[in-house]
Amino acid sequence: MKKEIKDENGKRVHPYVPELCEQLRKGELDRREFLRTATLLGVSAGAAYGMAGKILGEPMVKEAAAAEDPKMGGTLRWGMQVQEMTDPAKFDWTEKSNVARHIVEYLCRTGSDNITRPYLAEGWEASDDLKTWTFKLRKGVKWSNGDDFNADDVVFNFTRWLDPKTGSSNIGLFASMVEEIDTGKKDDKGNAVMGKRMTAGAVEKIDSHTVRLNLNSAVLSMPENLYNYPTAIVHRRFEAEGGDLSKNPVGTGAYALAEHRVGDKAVLKRRDGYWGKKPFLDEIVYVDLGEDRAAWLAALASKQVDGIYQFDVNQLDMAERLPGVVVHTATTAQTAIARMQMDKAPFDDKRIRQAVQACMDHEKLLQLAYRGKGAPGEDHHVSPIHPEYAKLPVQKQDYAKAKKLLADAGHPNGIQITIDVGNTSGKWELDAMQAFREQCKPAGIDLVLNVMPSSQYWEVWDKTPFGFTSWTHRPLGVMVLNLGYRSGVPWNESHYNNPAFDKALDEASAILDVNERRKKMETVQSILQDDAVALQPLWRAVFTATSDKVKGYSTHPTFYHQFNEVWLA
Amino acid sequence: MLIFMVRRFGTMVLTMVVVSLLLFLLLEINIGSVAIKVLGPYSSEEQRNIWLEANGYFEPFYIRYFSWLGNFITGDFGDSIRFKVPVGEILWPRLANTGILGLATMLVVIPLSLVLGVLAGMKEGSNLDRGISVGSIVTTSIPEFASAPLLSAIFVFYLDWLPGTSSMASGFSLVQLVLPAMVLVLYDFGYVTRMTRASMAEVMMTHYIRTAVLKGLPYKTVITRHALRNALIAPFTVIMLQINWLLSGVIVVEFFFAYKGFGALLLEASLTKDIFMIEACAMVAVFVAVATQTIADVGYTYLNPRIRFA
Repeated sequence: MKKEIKDENGKRVHPYVPELCEQLRKGELDRREFLRTATLLGVSAGAAYGMAGKILGEPMVKEAAAAEDPKMGGTLRWGMQVQEMTDPAKFDWTEKSNVARHIVEYLCRTGSDNITRPYLAEGWEASDDLKTWTFKLRKGVKWSNGDDFNADDVVFNFTRWLDPKTGSSNIGLFASMVEEIDTGKKDDKGNAVMGKRMTAGAVEKIDSHTVRLNLNSAVLSMPENLYNYPTAIVHRRFEAEGGDLSKNPVGTGAYALAEHRVGDKAVLKRRDGYWGKKPFLDEIVYVDLGEDRAAWLAALASKQVDGIYQFDVNQLDMAERLPGVVVHTATTAQTAIARMQMDKAPFDDKRIRQAVQACMDHEKLLQLAYRGKGAPGEDHHVSPIHPEYAKLPVQKQDYAKAKKLLADAGHPNGIQITIDVGNTSGKWELDAMQAFREQCKPAGIDLVLNVMPSSQYWEVWDKTPFGFTSWTHRPLGVMVLNLGYRSGVPWNESHYNNPAFDKALDEASAILDVNERRKKMETVQSILQDDAVALQPLWRAVFTATSDKVKGYSTHPTFYHQFNEVWLA
Repeated sequence: MLIFMVRRFGTMVLTMVVVSLLLFLLLEINIGSVAIKVLGPYSSEEQRNIWLEANGYFEPFYIRYFSWLGNFITGDFGDSIRFKVPVGEILWPRLANTGILGLATMLVVIPLSLVLGVLAGMKEGSNLDRGISVGSIVTTSIPEFASAPLLSAIFVFYLDWLPGTSSMASGFSLVQLVLPAMVLVLYDFGYVTRMTRASMAEVMMTHYIRTAVLKGLPYKTVITRHALRNALIAPFTVIMLQINWLLSGVIVVEFFFAYKGFGALLLEASLTKDIFMIEACAMVAVFVAVATQTIADVGYTYLNPRIRFA
């Protein structure tokens, strides 16, 4: 049995923490990864920063870059679509959560630096097998209606998320707390209709401010999942009181909803009695500027708003030239992949997939389609910013190889293939595929682009044999692979099915030690890259812009807003 | 005249019924996809069935169509999926906003183009005519999606005179109306001017004008008393058609300037697959189209004495 380790306060420390410290000392782990993993294992962010400072001999708190004193007061106007905001558990757009995030809060918070910190939970502990997670809730937190925040609220939220009747996507996020059951019904073909329900005892109230989660399988990213945008904690009587946050905005957050008109604007006013540090802004106003991103920049340029939700890479030149405007860039694991379904002709032939892959010059596509802002892709969907990323040999464009593979596959005179492009994350997708079309030509591959509106693309994204699908940022590489490439999972759009890959991914997902996990990831990434189901031109950076009056703001990789630290000069 | 009116009205109703049937077929024939759009992609089969049952979607097609049509006539368009409120609550204010934009545009376009058209048509081939004609052809050939960024680049980014968007977030603002109206005027006035000019030039060639000039009437009297009334018949129809054009033509302008109008609403409804909103918007657009057409026809017969119905 492992020895119990305790910190100065007598709190139990995860047995892996000393090992982490050792790795940081030896330089096997960088500071950022140390902070991330240590906080994941229940060490408070302050303590983790302290440990890192001690080990690396750096000051614990970095000196402020600008010596300006934050000012209280003012109204921040932000250009973003104002969407309906009925039920946080059912949010399907980040924009909805951005307004709500100022009213209702989360158990944990992942900052722009990719580090997850305590929030409504003041700390957490994970069992060694990562199957039991205990969350200590913050005491003294009051709801805006005067009630105390306690474990009942958290239990209510988990129970609600994991009830299929709620219709929340969280049921997939917390799959380790859900079991499949036979509903007793039969479908048209006579097969049993399977349903889902929360595993009995998955959420356990220990005392008024402690909740324990009992999982069916090991999960490393529990705290990070609890900042995923549909996991905001609503009041325990949310449903009884109408189940509509926009009509009955009860929350623990620092702001109260003063006005909410879909497609028009949302007004948030700072409220008294907030448990945390008093935020600087009196008022936050979200102004709906429609769907045309050119209009957003125009509104910023004419000072109608102080910040905009995002803008496209092709507007970068213009944004950088606007006087009084600051461009914020965030490095992300956002991408798009040209994925081929390995059970549909002609992509059922691995040689054809590899021939297409051999035509791709990733670095060039990054330059042509995304102004070089980001990183070249490597066809395995693990980003260099993911902690467990393993560096593989650089891929080279190889027409001789492509031609030989095509000839071997029975297409010596070339082949025509069609890709669906929906520009769901911007026009850069079409630019990338147009450039790729030219790269394919010398090998005799005629890549036809079938361009469609983004809404139409989302209807076929998991059905089309060959399509270009955008994927959002996730903090860990294994999270994406488990969602999109494991055999039989709902989002496996390439119908990828490789037992060797599944096995390697299983092994990697169960390892807490990043260096050990990275060794396993080398295999995982190599298998996926070699199977060539997902060609990935690039990892893209994302951009937002604010007026130079806005201080204390940094872009979150997934555009999550939280303006508690923001102030106006 | 009465028979003519009844016939026109009948055609109008028939057109709308046909369009409503097409709309219904396109959007509501697949009840499964209706339920997914309303309840969201994560809803369960069971939830969808309950919703379909509760909303009468398991009835035969024709019964559903007639009850839908009945609701529509009584002003019950259903609830918007995107806004989560009855469609009417969003639709009417948006339509009024587009009305304001359209009115502002027309207030400039009508006087401007009539004056320019008459001036140009009075003396065909004169320098004034050449100048106005070329100018109006040039502005009309620039589509809104090109003139909007151009004007925006000049007045917003370069001169910094006008606001870049017209969302009217803090109440109605006239200055925010300038750019969208300017784009619409620029595109539209040339067309109406050309029509007026052609009509005026044609009238000026007629015998009765020649007679009036020859019998020694002052030129001013010839124009105002004899030429204008006849020359304005064609522009009247064209202007009525512009109202219809405005309703769809504003989509680009409203989208570009984030103006909360009907055009932007229709576009956003299509993008977010807000089917009940699409249905209501489409029916409103069709209604405006056939209604302006009918008014134009009726007005035309009134203005032009050569068209008379016994």
